[in-house]
Amino acid sequence: MTGKSLSGTTTVAVAGILVVLLMMAGCLGNDQTAAPERITVTGSTTVLPIAEQAREAFEAKEASAEIMVSGGGSSVGVKAAGEGTADIGMSSRDLKPEETAGYPDLVKHHIADDAILLIVNPENSVESLTLDEVRGIYNGTYTNWNQVGGSEAQIVVVGRDSASGTREFFSEFVMDAEDFTRTQEEFNSNGGIQQKVSQTPGAFGYVGLGYTEGVKPLALDVGGTSVRPTLQNIKDGTYPISRPLYMLTNGEPEGLAQRYIEFILSAEGQEIVASEDYIPVRG
Amino acid sequence: MAKGFSIRARCRNFGWPRDRGTSEIGRPVIGAERRFVDRAVGKLLFCAALAAIVAVFFIIVFLLRDGYQIVLETGLWDFLAGAEWNPTGRNPAYGVFPLITGTLQVMALAMVIAVPLSIGSAVFIAEIASPGMKSIIKPAIELLAGIPSVVYGFFGLILLTDWIRVAFDQPSGSSWLAGSILLAIMAIPTITSVAEDAISSVPREFKEGSLALGATHWQTIRRVIVPGALSGISAAIILGMGRAIGETMAVLMVTGNAAVIPDPIYDVFSPVRTLTGTLGIEMGEVAFGSTHYHALFGVAVVLLFITLAINSAARVITTRIQGTQGTARPIPSGRVTAAIRRSTPYRALTAAASRITHAASAPFGRLLPPRTSQRCAFLLISLSVAIVIAALGVILFEIVVNGAGAISWEFLTGSPRDLGRAGGIFPAIVGTFYLVGGALAVALPLGIATAVYLVEYTAETPLTRSIRAAVDLLNGTPSIVFGLFGFAFLVLFMGFGVSLIAGQITLGLMILPTIIRTTEEALRSIPGSLREGSYALGATKWQTISRVVLPPALPGILTGAILSIGRAAGETAPIMFTAAIFSSRFLPSSLTEPVMALPYHLFVLTTTVPGAATQSYGTAFVLLLLVLTIYLAAILVRRRYRRETVM
Repeated sequence: MTGKSLSGTTTVAVAGILVVLLMMAGCLGNDQTAAPERITVTGSTTVLPIAEQAREAFEAKEASAEIMVSGGGSSVGVKAAGEGTADIGMSSRDLKPEETAGYPDLVKHHIADDAILLIVNPENSVESLTLDEVRGIYNGTYTNWNQVGGSEAQIVVVGRDSASGTREFFSEFVMDAEDFTRTQEEFNSNGGIQQKVSQTPGAFGYVGLGYTEGVKPLALDVGGTSVRPTLQNIKDGTYPISRPLYMLTNGEPEGLAQRYIEFILSAEGQEIVASEDYIPVRG
Repeated sequence: MAKGFSIRARCRNFGWPRDRGTSEIGRPVIGAERRFVDRAVGKLLFCAALAAIVAVFFIIVFLLRDGYQIVLETGLWDFLAGAEWNPTGRNPAYGVFPLITGTLQVMALAMVIAVPLSIGSAVFIAEIASPGMKSIIKPAIELLAGIPSVVYGFFGLILLTDWIRVAFDQPSGSSWLAGSILLAIMAIPTITSVAEDAISSVPREFKEGSLALGATHWQTIRRVIVPGALSGISAAIILGMGRAIGETMAVLMVTGNAAVIPDPIYDVFSPVRTLTGTLGIEMGEVAFGSTHYHALFGVAVVLLFITLAINSAARVITTRIQGTQGTARPIPSGRVTAAIRRSTPYRALTAAASRITHAASAPFGRLLPPRTSQRCAFLLISLSVAIVIAALGVILFEIVVNGAGAISWEFLTGSPRDLGRAGGIFPAIVGTFYLVGGALAVALPLGIATAVYLVEYTAETPLTRSIRAAVDLLNGTPSIVFGLFGFAFLVLFMGFGVSLIAGQITLGLMILPTIIRTTEEALRSIPGSLREGSYALGATKWQTISRVVLPPALPGILTGAILSIGRAAGETAPIMFTAAIFSSRFLPSSLTEPVMALPYHLFVLTTTVPGAATQSYGTAFVLLLLVLTIYLAAILVRRRYRRETVM
C-alpha cells in the first residue's frame, strides 16, 4: 500500500462524506423566512389536472398562497378531507354511504363534469357502438371486432385497475355491475390506457375526456342515432356516459381553501376546466 | 488478504477478546473512564444492531395487522388457492393463485433468459476477456444494475411491448414475455457479478493442472472451472431470482396486469399479473379499511414469504461456501464442501446443470474436434456478452437521444407547469436529494454500528445469527413491501402523513442491509494483526476500532454508501405511497411535507399525463444520468480500493 494511493483514497472518501453531509444539511437547514398561507389538495387523479392548472393560475394572482396538489385516488381524497389531513379532497365519484356516515361534515363542491370516452386505435374501422355492444366486449361475449361491425381482428380489452373510481363508474353505468372479462389488461391511469390503445390496432379502452391523442373516440349508438362525444352533447346529456367531479371540504371552507374553490368556480376557473377538456358546470 | 483471514481465524479459536465474558481476561489494565466509554459504546452498538431485528419485526407485524383479516374473511385456502382475483366484481373474489402463478411464471422465464446470458458473460469476463476488455465490459454490465426500474418500465412500455406485438404478430404486446425480458435484463448484472466472483475464486492450480494435462481452454472451463464454481453460481442465480421476484414498477408497466393463468399455460404472449404489480396499481386508490385493502396487505404477506423462501435458499448456499463476494474466499474445507453437497438445492442444481452441460456439449464433444468445439463455445459465449451489451446500448441510446433534446436550463432549474408538460423538474431533483440524504442519515449510522457490532464485538451466537438473518430478510424484501410498510406504519399509524420523513425512513430501511453488508465486508478485510498490534499497545477496544480498524475500512464503507444512494435515488415503489407528490412549486420546508421525486415524476408523466413524451424522456435522462454517475463513482472507488488491497 503506497502513501500516494492511500492519500488518493482518503481524498475520495472525504469528498464523498462531504457530499453526504451536504445532503443532510440540505435536509435540516431549510427553514424559509416568510410563512405563506398554505393548503393541501389531494385525491382523484382525474380531478388533479384541474386542481393543478387552477393552482398555477391562482398562485400567479396571490403570490403568498401555496397550494400543494397531489394524487392518490378518490378514496384517498375522501379520507384525507374527512380526517383533516388535507384541506381539500378531490373525488371523481359520489360519496359512498359508509363515507357519508363516517364523515358527516363533508361538503361537496361540484366543480366540473367528466365524460368517459370509448377509444379505439385510429386504424380501427368501427365508428360507433351501442351500450350493449360495449358491455358485450367488456364481459367477454364479443372477442373479435367482426362481431361488432369491424374487420377481422381480436379485441384487446383494456381497462382501469380495480381500485379506480373511473372503473367503478364505468362498471356501474355501462356494465350494470357485471364482471369484466378476465383477460382485460389493466392500467392504473388514463394515460396508460391511451398509450396502449394508440400502440395496439385491436385495442379497446375507456378514458377521461382529455386523453384523445393518437386514439379515436367512438360515437355511442343511442336508439339508432349515433351520438358523438362533443362538448355540446355531453353538456345536454345526449352523450350519456358522464359523471360529476367534486372537491370536498370538512365543513364549509375558510380562508385560502374557500378562495381557491371560489376561483375554480369563477369564470376564469371554469375556463381552465374547459381548457383541460372537462365540462364546466357554470357559464 | 488470505493471510489476514487466517490470522483472524486463529484469533477466533484462541478466544480473542470479543464479548463481555472474556474481554476482561488478558487485557492490559486501563483507566476506569476509558473502560466506561468502552462499555457504553459496546451497549450502543448492540442497540443499533438490534434495529434490524426490530425493523423486520415491525414490517411483519404491520403487514399481518392489516392482512390477517382477509384470511378471516375468505379463509386461508380460498385466499391462497382461489382462482379469481376480482375485488370489485358483483361477487368480490380475492383469490391470489393467479397472481402467484403469474409471479412465478414471469420469474421463471426471466431466469431462462438471464441465466445462460449471465453465466456466458461471467465466463467471458473471468476467463476469456483480455484485461483491457474486462475493464470495459465488467463496469458496463454493472451499469445495467444502476438503471432505475421505472426507466426500464418506461423503455418497456414505449418500445419493448410494441416490438413484441409487431415481431410476433400478436394482438397485444403487453405480456408475460415482455415482463420476463425486462426482468432478465435487470437480473443479469446481479447474476453475472456474483457468478464471476465465484469463477474467479476457483483456485488457479485447478486450471493449470487441467491445461497441463492437455485439455483445451474450453474443456478446462467446462469440466473444471464451472463445476468448481457451481455453488457460487447457484447462489448467484438464486440472488437473481430474488431481484426479479421483488420488482414492481417495470413489471406493472409491461405485463398487461390481467389476473389470468395463461391458457395454454406456456402461452408467453398472454398478459399476466404479478403480486408486486397488483400492489403497485391497486394500492393507490383502494378505500382504507375495506376488504380489498386487507386483501392487498395479504398479497404483500404472500410476497414476503415467497422472497423469504428464495433468500433463505440463497443464504444456505452462500453461508456454506463461506466468504462473501468481493473478498477472496478461502478454499472450502472438506467438511464445508460436504455440507454443501448434502443440501438439497445444491443436489438438484448439480443434477440439472450436469444434464444441461451434457446436452449442450454433446454435439461438440462427440462430433467436433476439441479446437472446433472450443471455437463454437467461445463464439456462443461472446454472443451472450454481445447481447447483454447490446441491450444496455439500446436502452441508453433510446433515452439519451430522445432525452437530451428536452434538457435545457429551464428544464433543470424550473418548476413544472402545465402538469409537467412545460417548465422544469428542479423540485423533483432536489426532492430526490432530500430523500436520499435523509435515507442515508437514517441508515448510515445504524448500518455501520450494526456491522461494527457484528464483526468486532461478538462471536457467533444465536443472537448474532438472528441479527444476520434479519439483515438478510430485509435485503430480500421487495421494495414495494417497504412502501406498504411505510404507508401502514409511518404514514397512518405514526400519523406522519405523506411526508418527506416517511419516505426517508422507508428508503433508509431499504438500504440498511446494503450498508451493513458492505461495511461488514470492509471490516473483515482488515487484517487481525492490526487489531492485535493496537491492543498490544494498550488501546481499548473502542480506541482500536475507531482509530485503527475504521479508517482503512472507509473506502469499502463508502462504496456501500454510494451503491445505496444509487438504489435509493432510483426507487419508485417505496416512495409512491409514503412521500411523493406529483407537483409542487416550492421545495419542502419541513420534514412533514411531501416532496417531488424524479422516479415518481417519471412514472406519473409516462402513465398519467398525455402529451408529455419529451419531458418523460428528459426526466428519464436526468434520472439515469444521476444514478449512473453515482454508480460510476462506486465502481471507481472500488477499483482504486481493490488495487490497493491486492498490493
